[in-house]
Amino acid sequence: MPDNERPSPVRGLSRRDFLKYSSFLAALIGAGPLGATKVAEAIEAATKFPIVVWSDFQECLGCTIALLQATAPTPAQLILQQISLAYNEAAMAPAGFDAEKSFNQAFDQGAYWVIEGSIPEKIPGSIAIGGKYAGDIAKEFYPKAKGVIAIGSCACFGNVQAHVPNPTGAMGVGAWLRGPGGIPNAQVVNLPRCPGHGDDLVATLIYIIVMGKLPDLDHAGRPLFLYGQTIHDTCERRAHFEAGEFVEQFGDEGSQKRWCFYKVGCKGPATYAPCAINRWNGRTSWCIHAGPCTGCSEDNFWNDFSPLREPLPNIPVPAIQGVSAQNIGLGLAAVTGVGLAAHLVGQTVSGRLFKGGPNGNGESHPQAEKKDGDQK
Amino acid sequence: MTKVVIDPITRIEGHLRITVEVENGKVKDAWNTCTLFRGFEIFMENIDPRDTWHYAQRICGVCPNPHALNSATAAERAMGVATVPDNARLVRNMLDATQLGYDSILWFYILNAFDYVNVPDILNAKTTDPELMAIQAQVKAQATSGEVNFLSNHYWGHPGYVLSPEANLTLTAHYLQAIDAQQAANQACAVIAGKFPMIMTMAAGGITQLPNEPDVNYYLDRMGIVKEFTENVMWPDLLAVAGAYPELATFGKGVGNFLTWGLLDEKGQLPENRLFPRGGIFGGQLKVEKVDPAEARLYTQHSYYEDDMGKGQKPFDVGQKAIKFDGYPPIDGPDFPTGKYDWTRAARYPSPAGKDVPMEVGPLAEILVAYVSGQKDVVKYVDEVLAAIGMTGKPEVLVSNLGRVAARVVKARINCDYAAQWGMDLLANIKAGDTTCFTEPNLMAEGEGISGYDAPRGALSHYCRVKGGKTVKYAAVPASNWNLAPRDDMGVRGPVEEALVGTPVADPTQPLEILRTVHTFDP
Repeated sequence: MPDNERPSPVRGLSRRDFLKYSSFLAALIGAGPLGATKVAEAIEAATKFPIVVWSDFQECLGCTIALLQATAPTPAQLILQQISLAYNEAAMAPAGFDAEKSFNQAFDQGAYWVIEGSIPEKIPGSIAIGGKYAGDIAKEFYPKAKGVIAIGSCACFGNVQAHVPNPTGAMGVGAWLRGPGGIPNAQVVNLPRCPGHGDDLVATLIYIIVMGKLPDLDHAGRPLFLYGQTIHDTCERRAHFEAGEFVEQFGDEGSQKRWCFYKVGCKGPATYAPCAINRWNGRTSWCIHAGPCTGCSEDNFWNDFSPLREPLPNIPVPAIQGVSAQNIGLGLAAVTGVGLAAHLVGQTVSGRLFKGGPNGNGESHPQAEKKDGDQK
Repeated sequence: MTKVVIDPITRIEGHLRITVEVENGKVKDAWNTCTLFRGFEIFMENIDPRDTWHYAQRICGVCPNPHALNSATAAERAMGVATVPDNARLVRNMLDATQLGYDSILWFYILNAFDYVNVPDILNAKTTDPELMAIQAQVKAQATSGEVNFLSNHYWGHPGYVLSPEANLTLTAHYLQAIDAQQAANQACAVIAGKFPMIMTMAAGGITQLPNEPDVNYYLDRMGIVKEFTENVMWPDLLAVAGAYPELATFGKGVGNFLTWGLLDEKGQLPENRLFPRGGIFGGQLKVEKVDPAEARLYTQHSYYEDDMGKGQKPFDVGQKAIKFDGYPPIDGPDFPTGKYDWTRAARYPSPAGKDVPMEVGPLAEILVAYVSGQKDVVKYVDEVLAAIGMTGKPEVLVSNLGRVAARVVKARINCDYAAQWGMDLLANIKAGDTTCFTEPNLMAEGEGISGYDAPRGALSHYCRVKGGKTVKYAAVPASNWNLAPRDDMGVRGPVEEALVGTPVADPTQPLEILRTVHTFDP
């Protein structure tokens, strides 16, 4: 049997397609061309499907719907060929006690745990599943999980329901677990955006399974291979920012010419996410194609970036060119609080806008201050 | 008498527990409990009214578009914008078309199909089709891996599954195709609105920018795929399932009152002149009454808020602040819920007889109101369904689980028929030189705005009061407040509770029929 006719470990794919697929996955997780072999070997070595449990806490199901839009691999490939999706309330067949049985069996068999939605600290009963409160479920099953990934800004940081006055006391899963009475070193990989992006999740899962460790994370628990650059750094409208060409009002001539959205509220300069890189809905489009970035991958963005219709303060807008790097960093730090400042000051105001920023190396890669403790 | 509790109800949008009392093989009484609360009406107070739609679409990640639309509309009306430019109307319709296309497919296959399609049984199917054999092999690999997966632990042995192994295999293949088809609808959304879910092109006053010609062409291409799937796959599947499960028409009747605010604006943007018109049906009479979202009423005696918060007040006068939560009714034990048992407030509407009554909302309500109003597309498709199941001339059989399943697919077909037209109209406007799509609202206005426009799962209304550049009051009455209402202060059951009464339960340890009835409401 010729080599490319051998049955593939990924069912439904020919040998050749399998290797192509491995290269694709390797590129997705930033493993590079050499990584492709490693990815292929790891998948071949796997005798079992990795078991994945997906829990929904305080959420809108947007992240599940976003996962259904994933294209790398597609959801059908994912659930039939890549993983054992043991528990997902939107997709699974069983309900009630029988669903709970799947949940328990999955952790007994060794599951990765993906969590969508926040955990309420003030009104714990504002999310319950099978009569158990989400916060209690998180603490009980964290030690049993092979790894925990928070998908979407709710599970990472609390998101919209954490907007002041945060009626239910919504918070991110990691912060909840490390809180009073919790697990001090609990480690959660955060994949924020609203909704979370299906391809980010697949890439991170593959990274963990293939590399056997968690990816390097930034101060907010986000993998650097995905969240290392700002929207502004990678924006297709960036040239218009530099040229001083702005949308002044929705629907105006500038908007028809697809100029920069900064003046109508774009939060791209303060937002770390790979949106411009892997885009959305099969890479069809991304937010900036249609409207200003809201900064949804940042902790507390609803409170810090409101009103969303107003421009970020203290960003020097180029008439033609020439801005001071230091000013942008300090200006943003004042606006968006300590967490973002840690990410920004002296680290990120570089890239194309500020060649030779404070670090003098032109890198826009923030060196993370890891506060998420040891790798699990 | 047997107590059966299903928690969580899976394959739905939110978090739901159903408690039923079974006697002599039938449901005698039922309670629904939503087990999720986030407090949107609380934290949306005091925000910039131009931003409300960003927040509001996070109420539901399955149907963000109609939340964004209702929220923008309520805010712009509060700020003095009565109608948006016609191009904005067309784009909003186009976005809702993608929403309805994707959501119908999502519901019919991913959330609903496993109630009728026995997936493990496909291993017994005889086929020589290589694609179907590949699906068999994949399911077999999962089933024999020894690991728990998304098909494990379900009631697959239940006698209620009647399709042949070959039919099960075909429908499973369509389930997988449906995943691709729903992606096409959302790609059509994304090319106009940046992404789905959580769109970016809405604005209080219109839309942020006009799609260009390549955007619209891509939209038309993707929606073509959706239309083809809806016509050639989902429609025959509906008729096949309806034919195989005739008992679908025999239970799940519900409260007999139906409400829709209408959806898909025509030129002029009058709510009574929509593609699916606004209206109410009361007491099973096939007669359409005028309705108004300002007249919705809320009750809270059995909801986790202070009793006096909702005693039939209008949404602007009721909030979510006075929370009174002291735990859920116990799952174990013989007792049934009596006091407070639901985060959902009970929405009611004044009937022509002057009584606040529960109303069923959703595609069935929209289709019945349109059918009685003589909407020609609705009449055509509904008659086709009735003919296929041998019920010509008997639209009353639709007031059942069958009607809810069929109405979703009928609605999807009409929606897909019109999507291309809106895209073509938009291109014609642009070519004729009309590029207006936004009116700047008066941020410092003082006023109230109300918007009622149905989401895929039913009547949705938003209420926004503005003063000094801030929202000072915000309320939303989504479909769940209607369909998943608990009992009201008068002790009357909500629509899902009422529809469950009479549902046969062959085996209380495998309550498949309860899932079927609940799922028809797409909760």
